[in-house]
Amino acid sequence: MTLTSDIDFSSSENVNKILYIIKFEEENLNHNLNDLLAKQCKIEAYMAGINKGIARMNRIINDTKKLDCQIAHTANLVTSVSAKVRRLDLARSRASDSQQRVHDLIDLQLCGQGVTTAIVEEDYEVAAGHINRFLAMDLQLLKRTADDVQGSESSITESVRILESGAIEMREITVRRFEEAVKKDDLASVERFFKIFPLLGHHMEGIEKFSKYICTKLAAKNQKELRNAMDIAKADKRVHLAYADAMTSLLENSARVIEVNQPIVEAYYGHGYLLDMLTILQRQCDVDVKNLINEFVKNRQIDRRKKLVNEIFSRNSNSCSATSNLGHYRMNSGGAIEKLSPKDIDATIVEITIMHSRVELYFRFMKRRVAMDIEECSDDCNTINDKLQNLNNLLQNSDLRRHAQELLGTYLLFERYFMEESVLKAIGLDVHDSGQLSSSMVDDVFFILRKSIRRSLTSMSVNGTCAVINNAAACLDHDFVNALKSHLQQGYPSGYIDLAQAYSAIQNSLQQGKIHSSDNEKARVNFLVYLNNADISTEYIDTLWRTMEQEIAGAYPSMTMVEKQLIESCLSELKSVRDTLKACVDFGMQQLKSSAINPRLHPWVDQYLTHKHQLTEEELAAYEAGETFVQFLIVQIDGFLNTFKPCLTLRNYDALISIVASELTTRLEKAIKKCVFNRLGGLVLDQEVRALGAYLASATSWSVRDKMTRLTQIATILNLEKVSEINEYWNPQHSSELTSWRLSQNEVRTILTLRIDFRMEDIKRIRLQ
Amino acid sequence: MEEYKFLFKIVLVGNAGVGKTCLVRRFTQGLFPPGQGATIGVDFMIKTVEVEGDKIKLQIWDTAGQERFRSITQSYYRSAHALILVYDISCQPTFDCLPDWLREIHEYANTKVLKILVGNKTDRDDREIPTQIGEEFAKQHDMYFLETSAKEAENVERLFYEIAAELIDQARSKDNSSSMNKNLSDSVGLSPQGSKPPQVSCCSGLSNQSSSQTGNT
Ligand SMILES: Nc1nc2c(ncn2[C@@H]2O[C@H](COP(=O)(O)OP(=O)(O)OP(=O)(O)O)[C@@H](O)[C@H]2O)c(=O)[nH]1
Ligand SMILES: [Mg+2]
Repeated sequence: MTLTSDIDFSSSENVNKILYIIKFEEENLNHNLNDLLAKQCKIEAYMAGINKGIARMNRIINDTKKLDCQIAHTANLVTSVSAKVRRLDLARSRASDSQQRVHDLIDLQLCGQGVTTAIVEEDYEVAAGHINRFLAMDLQLLKRTADDVQGSESSITESVRILESGAIEMREITVRRFEEAVKKDDLASVERFFKIFPLLGHHMEGIEKFSKYICTKLAAKNQKELRNAMDIAKADKRVHLAYADAMTSLLENSARVIEVNQPIVEAYYGHGYLLDMLTILQRQCDVDVKNLINEFVKNRQIDRRKKLVNEIFSRNSNSCSATSNLGHYRMNSGGAIEKLSPKDIDATIVEITIMHSRVELYFRFMKRRVAMDIEECSDDCNTINDKLQNLNNLLQNSDLRRHAQELLGTYLLFERYFMEESVLKAIGLDVHDSGQLSSSMVDDVFFILRKSIRRSLTSMSVNGTCAVINNAAACLDHDFVNALKSHLQQGYPSGYIDLAQAYSAIQNSLQQGKIHSSDNEKARVNFLVYLNNADISTEYIDTLWRTMEQEIAGAYPSMTMVEKQLIESCLSELKSVRDTLKACVDFGMQQLKSSAINPRLHPWVDQYLTHKHQLTEEELAAYEAGETFVQFLIVQIDGFLNTFKPCLTLRNYDALISIVASELTTRLEKAIKKCVFNRLGGLVLDQEVRALGAYLASATSWSVRDKMTRLTQIATILNLEKVSEINEYWNPQHSSELTSWRLSQNEVRTILTLRIDFRMEDIKRIRLQ
Repeated sequence: MEEYKFLFKIVLVGNAGVGKTCLVRRFTQGLFPPGQGATIGVDFMIKTVEVEGDKIKLQIWDTAGQERFRSITQSYYRSAHALILVYDISCQPTFDCLPDWLREIHEYANTKVLKILVGNKTDRDDREIPTQIGEEFAKQHDMYFLETSAKEAENVERLFYEIAAELIDQARSKDNSSSMNKNLSDSVGLSPQGSKPPQVSCCSGLSNQSSSQTGNT
């Protein structure tokens, strides 16, 4: 329309144009119309589909409703069926109850009839079986059944009466026959009636009677064995172990009772009764062990020897507190009081450790066996724990335990005596073989200590081992260290003699069987030997505690936490004796320094003062042509060190060189400060210090640079061209090349003044930051 | 491992039943143990305390009072830094035995060991030993004195802390006086044992006047 409204119809040309447009539009419309008509068909087809779908949905809804109904119905059915099943179950269980009661009733009748005949026929196992069956019945229920079932009342009560009286009769018979069997010592019958007690419900009575019977047999056996112990031992050539063997046998007898009877008890009595058996058995064991120990104490004179050892100890402790300050070591016991040789006591110590270890093994065996039986029984947790606690108390509070603790005490006393006496003996009999660095006592003493600690392991007591380790540490710290000290405190005799000569003199005298070397020579060698002894001991003590640590871990594989800490702490105490030994070495070195090193070294170094240090070129040439100071010094020191080298351990020799180097440098420094130098003098000094440093470095395996630093720095200062050059050396930028200055600023200035050609004003002017 | 500045060994001795184990448990675990048995041999406990900011490790050895353990317990005297001698204030015989215990201590312990006399069980109302008697005995024998109750936790902490403080003082003064030249005659003395003992090489010990490196740890 818009097309036409504002269009001019005045010209035909325009009208034609419009007509053309209208025609074009009409064609368009027709085309659209046709398109729409074509779609109608498709839409109608869709509509038809939808209608069909609706019809089908309706049918599904109906089906679902029907299904719902059916399910509800089924559920109802199931509920009713299950109720019936439950009722059926109940009925069945009642039926089985009734059946049981019927069985009981029948059995009751049978048992009632059977028991009397069986008793009469002495078929006690059958009779007891009937009674056992009867005891398992619920009597209350049976009586009620009897009331329900008319007529049978009388027969049931009759059977019950018969069985009740049968039970009483059976018990009487069993007790009587058991005791008869015991009297006749008829083991088969004893065991027969022992097995009947539990059938009658008299478990405890059976266990008690049987255990007591076994105890009497055990007592007789143990008594006889103890009486014959000495003879048996003599026959086996084991007299020294007679009581250890007797103890072993006694404890094995007890253990065997449990071992043999455990299956019978468990089969006829059930689990949990072994503890009751052990309780009775342990009482007997305690009595027998007491007899054995009494014999042992009497025969081995334990009390007398203990008294003797204690007397010796207290005498020693009184005498040594008075003398140890003077540096004497105490001597082997002997003389005045009755002697008790360590060897003599050695055998008894072995015997006691074996006895103690047997007790440990016995306790372990009993504990394991009985605890297993307790854990098997059907009681609740608390009862089981109570029983385990009772087992523990039974063993811990037994006389056997107490006796074992007393044995351990005796062992420790004797072991300590053995160890201390043997160590004193080894010290007293110390010999030095020529050519050896150390003397015999070091090897001997450490051998004894190791033997004692090792032996303590065989006692199987961690507490005992700890005590022996403590005693070993005390013994080293005291007697051994005192022996070292007393020799070192005598000092190294001074006087001019070569050690090599002393050695060969002693060797000669040994070869010729007479001593003609001077006392001084002997004393010198002796001093060095003890210095070496001390040094070697520090090594031995490390080996000792390390090997013992390993062996202890092997001997006690299942230590508790506390036991591990105990051992560790005792070992570390032993380890710390090393510090005391090290102090001995240091002390000896100081002695050596004051009596051997300084008196010889000082004059050699002081030779420096006799030389001229303001040299002309000609004088320098002449000096260098002859033996220079440093050549002389090195020859002397080298000779000196070489005399010591073959007589000292490596560590001691190194320590000696260290002392020599320190003493040498400080002494030389002092000498230098007393001299006056010119340029050439300083140059010579610098060369000589270098030569000395090179020599010392070649003499040892460790660095001597540190000890030479001050001297090197002094020589550097005295070798300066001009005073101002000092700044090049002092300059912090160079500090990385040069080790830091060991000299203070004042010292540097003082040293600079030793150069005659340096002017005081220049020295004052230098600035050192 | 934990760090500590000093390690001290404290050993408790005294008659059976005077309450040694109870004192140790009270101090280390803060409890009064009901009905534990007599001690067998020795028992061992560790407690680390702090005194003036320093960690101190105390190794406490609780020995058995019963006679038959004497050879075990004696062996622990030597390395003790402090010995606590305990009696029961309600039991005269435990007090009467003190001289015997002192004899043992004299025989086996280091002469410089710190000795403390403790009268335990002050909570009991059947006292037999007046405080003054105990005090006098302690003074006569050059011991410190304290009355405690393991049951009521009275003076138990104080006992161990005062021992620690005293031992620290001893160790410090000893350290200062003899750090340079270890005199042989008293080298057995009470020396502090840190977790890292100062390392001394075999030679430097002799020349430490000049070397500045081997300082204290
Ligand atoms: N009233 C009271 N009783 C205490 C006290 N300390 C300990 N007891 C009791 O004394 C008894 C013995 O205590 P323990 O600590 O086992 O004695 P012990 O000195 O260790 O004994 P041994 O190990 O045999 O040397 C126990 O019954 C404790 O309950 C206390 O402070 N007050
Ligand atoms: Mg105790």
